Amino acid sequence: MIPATVERFVDRHGRRIGLALMWSVLALLWIPIAIVTLMSFAADRALAFPPDELTLYWYGEFLRNDSAIEAVVTSVQVSVIATLITVVLATILAYAVAKYEFPGKGVLQLVVTLPIVVPLVVVGVALVLFFGFINVGTGFWSVVVSHVIRTIPFAALIIIPTMLRFDENLEEAAKDLGADELDAFLNVRLPNILPGVVAGGLLAFTISFNEFVYTYFVRDTATETLPIYLWNQIRFEASPEVNVISVVFLLVAIGMIALAIAITNVRRITLQ
Amino acid sequence: MARTSPDSPSATSRLRSRGRRHVRSVLAYLRDRPRARISILAGIPALVLLLFFVLPLVFMLWLSVMDGMPPASFTLDNYLDVFTTDLYLRVVWRTTVLTVQTTALVVVLGYTLAYSMARFSRRTTLILLLVILPFWTNYIVRMYALINIFSRNGLIDFVQLALGLAQEPGGIMFTHTAVLLGLTYVWLPLATLPFYASLANMDDNLIEASKDLGAGPIETFLTVTLPMTKNGVVGGIVLVAIPTFGAFVTPTLLGGTDQLMIGMVIENQFTESFNWPFGSALSVIVSAFVVLMLLLGVKLGAGDTLSRRGDAR
Repeated sequence: MIPATVERFVDRHGRRIGLALMWSVLALLWIPIAIVTLMSFAADRALAFPPDELTLYWYGEFLRNDSAIEAVVTSVQVSVIATLITVVLATILAYAVAKYEFPGKGVLQLVVTLPIVVPLVVVGVALVLFFGFINVGTGFWSVVVSHVIRTIPFAALIIIPTMLRFDENLEEAAKDLGADELDAFLNVRLPNILPGVVAGGLLAFTISFNEFVYTYFVRDTATETLPIYLWNQIRFEASPEVNVISVVFLLVAIGMIALAIAITNVRRITLQ
Repeated sequence: MARTSPDSPSATSRLRSRGRRHVRSVLAYLRDRPRARISILAGIPALVLLLFFVLPLVFMLWLSVMDGMPPASFTLDNYLDVFTTDLYLRVVWRTTVLTVQTTALVVVLGYTLAYSMARFSRRTTLILLLVILPFWTNYIVRMYALINIFSRNGLIDFVQLALGLAQEPGGIMFTHTAVLLGLTYVWLPLATLPFYASLANMDDNLIEASKDLGAGPIETFLTVTLPMTKNGVVGGIVLVAIPTFGAFVTPTLLGGTDQLMIGMVIENQFTESFNWPFGSALSVIVSAFVVLMLLLGVKLGAGDTLSRRGDAR
């Protein structure tokens, strides 16, 4: 039994306390990010808080640094290719799930989401073992394949419900009016499911662009994505350029989310 | 969708109409063969998942009971090594402790956050964004952000010196606390979402009813809200405990060799020690923990929360 005075106190002040706690926790989430952004303008080489002087010098250093720019290019290449493959795979999977009954449907839907729950190290290690075993080895295409596995659950989780919400009668109507499968798909189904497909693609791209653990295991030395570059910098050099790269990642994340929200809505991408 | 006319002279549209003709002939072939159609549609993604996800895991399981790289003979020594070597037992223990501590911290902070979002705040869309954006920021970047704060002369030192809590800057890098805070920081948003979903889906009238019947806010919370959102809580716990148990980036960057976790030992087997069967055995142990947590989660009623990510409906 809780004392009545405590209950009364909570009843009177609960809302204010709750909101204060909420903003405190949100502040905890954001302070580190704010600090990184601030430190990216710090002139000093050493990480000391607060910075003595603010400058854009390290942004210039980043843009002049060939290996950093090369890492950005590699990252974009890997992410674009992996995203395209993932979106196509997730879309045909969603189409099959929405339209047909087939044996193993439930299992397939479960397996497609499993890469989310298996710890990254485990899959990363399993992939490098397997690529070694089948003599594919490590390299650019191993990285792309691993990114497809990493992103396909997220794309499928957005695209499958979109496909299920599509009213199959619309496609039937189009066919009754003389459209064939291709016309019906391109002109009736695709425009209807496009927001979900694009949102799935954006999420896949974001995850792929940020992917570290799988890449760490299945890459070769020639394939250095931006997260790998960042990791090497942090572990072996730690120049203030790292702060600048962090801001780049932050801007990419914000940009992608802004795009995704413009296309769907916040609830769908966060609570799915 | 704009359609180019078939007699358009441009090369691309000619190519496209030829492409369409091919697609149409394939579709015509498949029209009377529904089985073939399904096996192509479902088969391609299934094949990719089988080949590059299921098969590697099965291969790893098989390698974990080998006494070397194949061809080799069957042995259980890799598993025995984990449970008889002091070092590895300590690592498993530390990993378990950190997982429990992280999960507890995340549940308290995340539930508080989610509760206030659902009950007290009107700007839930904005706050959902504030919760999810850090989560979508690069993992390594978030770790680096914490290094900024934890290291000597970082924010923690700055605050401690300013408040007179410490006389000299020392930082908290490479400590148990650093790893714990790091893991909590990265997984907090992940658990907040299912907490919020279960709280938002709850019928508010139940709370009113409880209050009308004379219960205070705390009693209402303990006897109505918490039991009603139990599934979301269990779901959040599972979602946090699994990646924490397999963590390797956070302990490497914030803990170093003083704070070894299983994930780091696994990584080490593949990059430095080159004992792949032993690394596989460790990975299988981590996977067993995952399966255990999932089964426990489903048994305790979190099936819905987990399958919102799983079953996709």
